[in-house]
Amino acid sequence: MKVKRQERIRHDCLRILDGRDKELDPLRQSELVIVGGTGFVGTWIAEMVTALNDAYQFGIKLSLISRSTEQFSNRLPHLANREDIHLIKSDVRQLGEFPMDADWVIHAAANPDIRTHASNPLDTASVVVDGTMSVMRTAERLGRLKKLLYLSSGLVCGPQPASEMGLAESAQGAAAPDASFVYANSKRFAETICSAARAQSRVPVLVARPFSFVGPYQSLETPWAQTTFLSDALQGHAIRVLGDGQVVRSYLYGSDAAYWFLKILTAGQGGDVVNVGSPVGTSLQDLAKLVAQNFEPSPEIMFNTSPRSLGRSAQLLPDTTHAQNEYGLSAFTSLDEAIKLTAQWHLMQNSQERG
Amino acid sequence: MMERNCTISISDPTLRDGNHAVGHQLDVEQIAAYCRAADAAGVSIVEVGHGNGLGASSLLVGEAKTPDSIALEVARKNLTKSKLGIHVIPGFATIERDLKPALGMGVDVVRVAAHCSEADICERHISFSRGQGVEVWGCLMMSHMISPVFLLEQARKMESYGAEGVVFMDSSGHFLPEDVRKRVELLVSELSIAVGFHAHNNLGLAIANSIAAAEAGATLLDGCARGFGAGAGNTQLEVLVAVLERLGYRTGIDLYKILDAGDLAEQILMQKIPSITSVSVVSGTAGVFSGFMRPVSRIAKEFDVDPRDLFFELGRCKIVAGQEDMILEVAKELALQAAKGGK
Amino acid sequence: MSRKAVVQPKNKLRIAIIGSGNIGTDLLIKILRSPSLECGAFIGRNLSSVGMVKALSLGVTVSADGINYIVQNPDCCELIFDATSAKSHLEHAPVFKKLNKRVIDLTPAKIGLMSVPSVNLEDSLAEFNVNMVTCGGQASIPVAYAIGQSQTDVDYIEVVSSIASRSAGPATRQNLDEYIKTTEEGLREFSGATRTKAILNLNPAEPCIDMQATIFAKVNNPNIPKLVEILEPLVENVRKYVPGYEIIFGPIVENDRIVVIARVRGLGDYLPAYAGNLDIINCAAIAMAEEYASLAHSKGSTGE
Repeated sequence: MKVKRQERIRHDCLRILDGRDKELDPLRQSELVIVGGTGFVGTWIAEMVTALNDAYQFGIKLSLISRSTEQFSNRLPHLANREDIHLIKSDVRQLGEFPMDADWVIHAAANPDIRTHASNPLDTASVVVDGTMSVMRTAERLGRLKKLLYLSSGLVCGPQPASEMGLAESAQGAAAPDASFVYANSKRFAETICSAARAQSRVPVLVARPFSFVGPYQSLETPWAQTTFLSDALQGHAIRVLGDGQVVRSYLYGSDAAYWFLKILTAGQGGDVVNVGSPVGTSLQDLAKLVAQNFEPSPEIMFNTSPRSLGRSAQLLPDTTHAQNEYGLSAFTSLDEAIKLTAQWHLMQNSQERG
Repeated sequence: MMERNCTISISDPTLRDGNHAVGHQLDVEQIAAYCRAADAAGVSIVEVGHGNGLGASSLLVGEAKTPDSIALEVARKNLTKSKLGIHVIPGFATIERDLKPALGMGVDVVRVAAHCSEADICERHISFSRGQGVEVWGCLMMSHMISPVFLLEQARKMESYGAEGVVFMDSSGHFLPEDVRKRVELLVSELSIAVGFHAHNNLGLAIANSIAAAEAGATLLDGCARGFGAGAGNTQLEVLVAVLERLGYRTGIDLYKILDAGDLAEQILMQKIPSITSVSVVSGTAGVFSGFMRPVSRIAKEFDVDPRDLFFELGRCKIVAGQEDMILEVAKELALQAAKGGK
Repeated sequence: MSRKAVVQPKNKLRIAIIGSGNIGTDLLIKILRSPSLECGAFIGRNLSSVGMVKALSLGVTVSADGINYIVQNPDCCELIFDATSAKSHLEHAPVFKKLNKRVIDLTPAKIGLMSVPSVNLEDSLAEFNVNMVTCGGQASIPVAYAIGQSQTDVDYIEVVSSIASRSAGPATRQNLDEYIKTTEEGLREFSGATRTKAILNLNPAEPCIDMQATIFAKVNNPNIPKLVEILEPLVENVRKYVPGYEIIFGPIVENDRIVVIARVRGLGDYLPAYAGNLDIINCAAIAMAEEYASLAHSKGSTGE
């Protein structure tokens, strides 16, 4: 079952790479470092890189730097034990050992768990702000560095104005400066640190702003809509939709996101800012239906509140015109497909655990 | 006036908050009979348990006559349409010892409660319950003790943990309608989850405050049969339902049947109908947890101090729910001062 | 080991602290003041953490290598205070054992004997890994033990601890369940009560409240004079290592229960005085270590 799941992931990567592998040619025979490399994004990029190495002989040397390399090794030995992957255990705030020959660096270190942001906002801020400072100070000394991609957040521009169809990179909003938005504001300041590193030390850094993702490797414990719906359905419970279900979000599949990041890293210019996400919105109500149809028997969908309290900040979608025009990027995997693949992957995992 | 063509869910903690009024002595027959009546009336959520919730039977607050497991089993058997709810305070109830077995008995709604400024102690209990697929609310107790903005900050934490709604509780019966309206408006405009309100009647404002909450956008209100609850009691459920009906809100509750449930509660649950005694006016004014009424009355007698002085002093010391032990200490201090003053 | 009869600086027991958070840093300050302990290494994971910077400013040897530092430099200490986390201590304990180092565990890992110096010092000294229970445990177990010794048929003991909200960090808040479980086990172990219960309140009042622990007990025919007789010397004993420990109420019988309230005012070393909850567990750990030191010294001086 484990092998089957790996095959599935590999297939997801190859499906995206088919006809697009040449786009990533600058990565051939290079060294890529991902700081915060064992989370959802890092793992998917690692899958994509190994697919490039195995199927297209890219010869990329990949280093993953993370606080939790042991867990990564236990969970994903098929990646951890590879010759072309090197794990380095380190806190992003104190990068001791760092591959100094890195051609490419992706800084993805942050804890995306909204529960941690609420309970431990100071630590959340420190990982993002001090972590980015530490990465930039290290990058100043990387002699071969071609580009550094910082993974910020789609939240840095605050809520989406009701008048807009999507939130563009140039949006002028911001979250209120209080603890409830510590993650968004820390990410915003981290973008400033990136910009400062470029201005002062000519670090070739550009910024990607991830919105919402879905896919295998995403922890179902974090209480986001897509993860909670899947978790409810996997446990055979009713899917509980908070509010009236009219909130609109969009979800980019894991392998799509990995390709987007690599494409932006290699093709982008220092100073660029690019939204990363699916432009195709879906209401939570429809999302719940999409999840439900992948389970047998199909779980009940419940709405818990009256519509009275909703209607504001109901939509958060990236405007991906820039990604589309400059980088030729779009959501390659439809949401239906993305949900189906994710549900099936978890079902395989469940049957494996039972076995 | 806002458009009122909308639904208010009613959560009924008669068999939980009411336990404070009888020293946590509600028995199996009482629980069964009232559950049947509330269920027949169409109450959304029936909350059952010790006054301080799951795992709170103690020498501190009072030992429950009916253990959690038995109370939940009986309630489960006697509720067909209404959801079975529990009140859970981290620090009293643990996940392994209390919450897991309770969910195993078929609880539908978990309300995880903390002192208004301490929402982050709820992270694990809320996450766990949410992961088990039950409906989870966060409750912020003694909410008069912090400003609306701080209340929002704490409510946001609960939202982040996965709560489906936040109930803020006027555990002391201290609020005026304007205080309630301000808080509900802020919470409703800033949270994407439902907002609920739980009142106490120390200043005779439980109904008025509950209506202020509904008008400002709260979609869940707590009410107890005959107001059966700690101290001066809670919002009187039958009255609340009638007033909401007159105002044009839907509650899904049958008025005659909830009146019947109120009559039944008066007959079988309570030693006396809650009323606003002189001491409960002081308790509300001082902003002290309503559940302190019985222990304060007893300890005031034992130490020969005026219960009103005791309440005001407890309010001054900012004692929170769950600190019943401090009543003894404060009473002793007052008695000492009185002795000195007498000389 | 030196054989001088009087404890000179040279005779000090060398210890290491692993964990550079509030607990670890407060321990360091207490150790620097101790006549019989010296700090061989202060070990964390982050050289720029507030605790590390404090230790550097005090001229202490520091390392950010975690347990590896002790593995590489086993001579840096004879005894280790582990002030990391339960999860880390589970990983550390076998390594310490292999290195033949004594450990005082301040995490809730509970591998070793639960230790409350005023009650089971002798037994603890025989162990290589002792656990300091919890703050509520350190404050209440002396009283629970006295109840167990003085009363017959102790059916039930309950401890309600109140701590200042500002003294409870994210880890404390997330681990209330573990706190409750460990405190209840400690109470059972030391009092012999059939049933025990622990409750924890966080109080946000300003100015911050001192830590308090209220002990309730249900016993047949309470014997208060006998309880007082046993409790008083115990409290004196606790006060030797936690000067701010005090019984402020009781013991009395009220509403068919024995009630005793203990208050713990901290020393205010690295943390504010209201954080008596953090202070008492550290003071207890230091008391244990100082006993080890005098034991080691007396062994040395008798020419063993």
